[in-house]
Amino acid sequence: MFKQIFSPFGKINKQIFIVLAIVQSILALVFWHFASNGLVPKPLKVADAFFTLLTSKNLLDNVIISFILTIKAMAISIVITLFFSYLSVIPFFKTIAHFIVKCRYLTLTGLIFIFTLLTHDGSELKLSLLIFGIVPFFVTSFLAVIITTDNQQFEICKTLGYNNWETLYEVIVVGKADQVLEIIRQNFAITWLMITLVEGLSMSEGGVGVGTMLIKYNKYNDITNVLALQLVIFVIGLIFDLILGNLKFWLFPHSKLQIHK
Amino acid sequence: MNNYSKQDILIKAEGVSLSYGDKLILRDINFEIRDILRPGVVQGQVVSLIGRSGIGKTQLFKILAGLNSPSGGKVTLHDGKPVKAGDMGVVFQNYYLFEWRTIYQSLELAAKKNPKFKRQDIKKEINKYAEQFQLTEHLSKYPQQLSGGQKQRVSIIQQLLNGSSFILFDEPFSGLDVVVLEKIANLILQVSLSDELKTLIIVSHDIETAVSLSDTVFVLGTESNKAGATIKTEIDLCSRGLAWKEDIKYMPAFKETIAEIKAVL
Ligand SMILES: Nc1ncnc2c1ncn2[C@@H]1O[C@H](COP(=O)(O)OP(=O)(O)O)[C@@H](O)[C@H]1O
Ligand SMILES: [Mg+2]
Repeated sequence: MFKQIFSPFGKINKQIFIVLAIVQSILALVFWHFASNGLVPKPLKVADAFFTLLTSKNLLDNVIISFILTIKAMAISIVITLFFSYLSVIPFFKTIAHFIVKCRYLTLTGLIFIFTLLTHDGSELKLSLLIFGIVPFFVTSFLAVIITTDNQQFEICKTLGYNNWETLYEVIVVGKADQVLEIIRQNFAITWLMITLVEGLSMSEGGVGVGTMLIKYNKYNDITNVLALQLVIFVIGLIFDLILGNLKFWLFPHSKLQIHK
Repeated sequence: MNNYSKQDILIKAEGVSLSYGDKLILRDINFEIRDILRPGVVQGQVVSLIGRSGIGKTQLFKILAGLNSPSGGKVTLHDGKPVKAGDMGVVFQNYYLFEWRTIYQSLELAAKKNPKFKRQDIKKEINKYAEQFQLTEHLSKYPQQLSGGQKQRVSIIQQLLNGSSFILFDEPFSGLDVVVLEKIANLILQVSLSDELKTLIIVSHDIETAVSLSDTVFVLGTESNKAGATIKTEIDLCSRGLAWKEDIKYMPAFKETIAEIKAVL
């Protein structure tokens, strides 16, 4: 058993994995506790702030605002992504899809002025910035999925007498539906990361949301609350990840089989 | 009783060649498959394409299926038109199925493309085949939950439901144990008897099993000093009295034929 834990591709069961995770977390907390020198708050202090924060109405309001913004942005982004990704198999749209992919390298900060001019108010600005920020990541992930499609999937469609549109529908739209959820799940992290950025960028607009909270705490050097809020953001992310993961298995049972194989 | 006649050309390959870069894989392949008529018997055609591993069988298979175009020459059907994807049913070597579809759904997708079926009959047809091929209890499963042999049967039914007269099999006997092999061989025979125009093309390196099912054998091989594989021999098993017989494997003439094929491989 001990050998398995330290050997490459070693097989351990779920219980051992959980025990390992717990032990390692405790070790990390203990290390944190003894290593922090006053500047960084000790874990118990952060935990305390965390629970205080959880019970405050302020947090809930801000989390809901950020969360709704995130969901909205992801929903719109996924529609845009699917539209261009599905069409990327058509040469005319291929170039556009690949351009979107390259947009990852544009930084949001420089574009904020243009977006301010184009949008009416703060929430619209945040939403469009967020969408602009995440669509390239979504498209990148989804194009990778499309490109790695096994050629045999197309061949079987052809031999069954499908035309190209029917093939597109079966192989890309239906066949990759589980992957769409997976991409949302994987990119939720990026969206969550960007929301703090976007909310921070447009703080002058009477900013709200966890991003704004985070920046305010930072400004007053309230590291304990910064860390506590980070923890909140972390936990929300984990929950969302879990929900989406299970939703995938429930909606697309075959995706679970693939993992077990 | 060995009464038969060869009728119209069903499929014809003329000067087919294939190269990748400057590497010639297939060279000047010519053959034709004709409708074989036996008075009083409904009987399709079974043709074997035999050759060593790596010789180019799968490449030729894909050209015949209309999935790849040859570098030169053409493959035409009875109407003289070049073959295109969809004209031929294909059972791939790894019995590929859509992994996001249940077996039932996969079969349904194939059956919907068959103009002979009315919408409301599809379910009945699927159940009929599933019963016949012992797959009823697996209809609601996903391909990952099936064994190789079961997937192969699904692939075959899929093509039967799809309804093309031609079905190509790529290495249908490889990796099967003796019992399953026998079953698949019987299955192929059964399919060939289902329709006068059914034409099965078996691409295989398992000489004995392939030949025992066939009425015609084409041997794919290379000739000395020439690059690329071509049809070296065509054996008409009907004229040798080696077609459509059970227990053919024990006949001396069959063994001679096998030896003859092995010699040219
Ligand atoms: N895409 C490809 N590019 C170059 N050579 C290929 C390609 N696909 C197959 N070949 C070559 O074609 C030859 C025949 O392959 P194949 O038809 O798969 O053989 P088999 O008779 O075993 O089915 C092999 O030598 C293989 O290396
Ligand atoms: Mg092969």
